[in-house]
Amino acid sequence: MSTRQEILQSLSSILSALLGDDSISLDMGTRREDVPGWDSFNYVNFIVGVETEFGVKFTVADVESFPNVGAVVEKIEQITAGAAGRKR
Amino acid sequence: MLFNSYIFIFAYLPVVLAVFYALGYRERSWALAWLILASLVFYAWWRPLNVLLIAPSILINYGAAQGLVRLRGERPAAARALLLAGIAFNLCFLGYFKYLNFFRGTINDVFGANLILTQIVLPLGISFITFQKIGFLIDLHAGRIDKVRLFDYSLFVLFFPQLIAGPIVHYREMMPQFQAANCRFNSENAAVGLTLFFLGLFKKLIFADSLAAFVSPLYVHASAGGSIALIDAWIAAVGFMLQIYFDFSGYSDMAIGLARLFGIKLPINFNSPLRASSIIEFWMRWHITLTRFLTAYVFNPLVLHLTRRRAAKGLPPFSPRSATLPGFLTLLMFPTVVTMFLSGFWHGAGYTFICWGLLHGLFLTINHAWRFSRLRIWPDTVSYTRIMVPVGFLLTFLSVAFSMALFRAPTLRCAFAIWAGMLGQHGVSLPAEYFVRLGHAGVWLAAQGVHSAMTSGKALTQEIVFLAILLAIALCAPNTLQLLSRYEPALGSPRPSPNKPAGLSWSPSPAWAMGTAVIAAAGILSLGQLSEFLYWQF
Repeated sequence: MSTRQEILQSLSSILSALLGDDSISLDMGTRREDVPGWDSFNYVNFIVGVETEFGVKFTVADVESFPNVGAVVEKIEQITAGAAGRKR
Repeated sequence: MLFNSYIFIFAYLPVVLAVFYALGYRERSWALAWLILASLVFYAWWRPLNVLLIAPSILINYGAAQGLVRLRGERPAAARALLLAGIAFNLCFLGYFKYLNFFRGTINDVFGANLILTQIVLPLGISFITFQKIGFLIDLHAGRIDKVRLFDYSLFVLFFPQLIAGPIVHYREMMPQFQAANCRFNSENAAVGLTLFFLGLFKKLIFADSLAAFVSPLYVHASAGGSIALIDAWIAAVGFMLQIYFDFSGYSDMAIGLARLFGIKLPINFNSPLRASSIIEFWMRWHITLTRFLTAYVFNPLVLHLTRRRAAKGLPPFSPRSATLPGFLTLLMFPTVVTMFLSGFWHGAGYTFICWGLLHGLFLTINHAWRFSRLRIWPDTVSYTRIMVPVGFLLTFLSVAFSMALFRAPTLRCAFAIWAGMLGQHGVSLPAEYFVRLGHAGVWLAAQGVHSAMTSGKALTQEIVFLAILLAIALCAPNTLQLLSRYEPALGSPRPSPNKPAGLSWSPSPAWAMGTAVIAAAGILSLGQLSEFLYWQF
């Protein structure tokens, strides 16, 4: 399982690819309005990119209410931990 | 009852507030019950029958909500069916009152049928109320709302400051506030609330209504088949854009201010939209709570669904660098146009509103397409920003001005007449007085084909100066939320930035009290002619 830092790094590179801006570095507190050009469309694209990358699926309600990048990371951790728990 | 009426300002509001505070000192829940009762009276004032319509709708939605709470955990399929039934009920309710005649009329037009158009009185604010109820059911189904009591739900639906025309609120941002409100007099809330209310009243009565006085006749003239020359056409378009701007931002300020008197903060609804440098940004600043609603409940689910379907097919993620035309059409153009079509149709059951929505869908699509391709053709962000921010501002301004003529015009034919005038198709004419004053320049203008009209030169000059002043205010003056930023006037309103000089900032001081009193007096003295808010018709 990835560490929090690794997850953040993946998220940063997904968003960098989407916005075409290599200088993006996300942290747990980053919010959408902190990143120029991260509008609602790019946000959904980012979410599906994350879903594909980590093999998870968020609900529409999750997607709508993530307050910041940290919440996405925590949700990924929660889902993957749950999946690992079931495997055991 | 209009916010801008004597009865509201001098009778209803003082009585409602006094009893609310008095009850608040005894027992909070009585004060909130009083607020529900007062809101029902507010709604019934216009047409008592309205209460008979809204009350069953509240009960049915509440019943659906109880069912959803029970079903959502254990029986997801049943919960989903109930959610869809609830949404369908609300849409049918809206559809009957707002769209039945439109569909009948369209069938008559297309098939030459002879369906009878019945007189259906549109219950005030039904479009806003319906959206808010639908949002509530979706949130409840998604688990974003824990449980609900009839008392709380009624308060959420009926709260009179935002009942008729928004801001469209979420249950989860309102209910914690109602539960925490102490329902007692608080001098800061009263000062902030009254300031917002009177600033809004001033915008509505002094700015918007004065614009309407010379803008409306132009639309009447155009829809009667008259031709509109260049300058008048631009006055019609820019004038109405400013009219609806001050009308709706004034309404929003008044709604936010009224809620604040009860200790409740409503979400930000308006943030100087004409300053936007792109049409995407425009929609993040104009009617913010509607954009938020449509984004959350239409655009995002649609895009999420389509994007996942694309990913499941193994197609590459759709990004600015790997954008393909099919991807662009399905993932961006389609959901954008669908969302804006709905937005247009929601505003009004008419072809002009539908075309207005589709036009904005097209604008947004072009904006997105430009964002995608500009990375390839203009990768340098610094020079791009320097040049395209002003150019984008101008383009946005023109797009909005053109589209607003469509929003205002009663028929498509009238809108086309205004557009033709704006493009110079009906020539240019100036009042005869101008030619005299201009001397040689006047002779030159006449030689260029500028007509002389027997209209008042003084009136035209006044109109243009008035438009210029209002434009300067809309573009440059600090907006109400910035003025009051130290007191969090609305949920999500911009905070004062610590490293910037404060500029003009409201404070509870004698100087501001005097200023607000002057503005309030000017507003109250203009109360005579009752004029509805433009957004109250929706």
